[in-house]
Amino acid sequence: MTELLWYITAALAIGSGLGVVMLRMPLYSALSLVLHLFTMAAMFAFLDAHFLATTQIIVYAGAIMVLVIFVIMLLSLEGTEKRPSIFLIGIAGAAAFGLLYMMAPAIRRTFPMTGGSLQGDVGTIGKSLYTDYIFSFEIASLLIMVAIVGAVVLAKRIKKNAT
Amino acid sequence: MPLSNYILLSAVMFSIGAVGVMLRRNTIVVFMCIEIMLNAVNLSFVTFSKLHNDISGQVGVFFVMVVAAAEAAVGLAIMISVFRSILSVETTDSSELKL
Repeated sequence: MTELLWYITAALAIGSGLGVVMLRMPLYSALSLVLHLFTMAAMFAFLDAHFLATTQIIVYAGAIMVLVIFVIMLLSLEGTEKRPSIFLIGIAGAAAFGLLYMMAPAIRRTFPMTGGSLQGDVGTIGKSLYTDYIFSFEIASLLIMVAIVGAVVLAKRIKKNAT
Repeated sequence: MPLSNYILLSAVMFSIGAVGVMLRRNTIVVFMCIEIMLNAVNLSFVTFSKLHNDISGQVGVFFVMVVAAAEAAVGLAIMISVFRSILSVETTDSSELKL
């Protein structure tokens, strides 16, 4: 049952990923990406990374995608670019499939069937984050601070009579 | 589910994202393809974290998400600012620096 669910999720992930690349309207690409992020959250849940699955939905699908869709609608973008030729897509797809087909047995041989019994809950990640990675954590807060200021400065409309 | 399947899925997703970055002209779609690539790498991070029974991989994914959020804010601000000056977000239209 879990296996069937996994394959359905993987197919959805690949399909929606292809949708982001292939669809002509940027808005449809963005909606396809939302589906993709949800399937990735499901993959994290399959790997017992519960905290990351939740964060993925809240931060990516919730915050980042709202921002992207907001910008697409603000600029009222429409699909104006030409579709690349089917021939090139076919060659690229065949090459990618061939490489993967050669790689897959090696990867299957190298990796064990299942991993450890690690549970990525809030407690475990928080403990690691606040002890081993405390410096990176502080730097990350600084980075977000800089990003906020940078976004405001970049997106602000500059007055005509300003220097 | 064998862990190799997650690695294969991650490889496929990364390739799809990379192809999107190379093929698409629209900056916002290119940005979204970068997000796909980041997510593919996140998936392999979590898989290796499970494989080695070590939480560090998941902490890495957390930081990747933080950087992606910062990148989204600044990147979209740059796109708005570019759109104001040349009324387009296509990569082919912003060729001022081209020789």
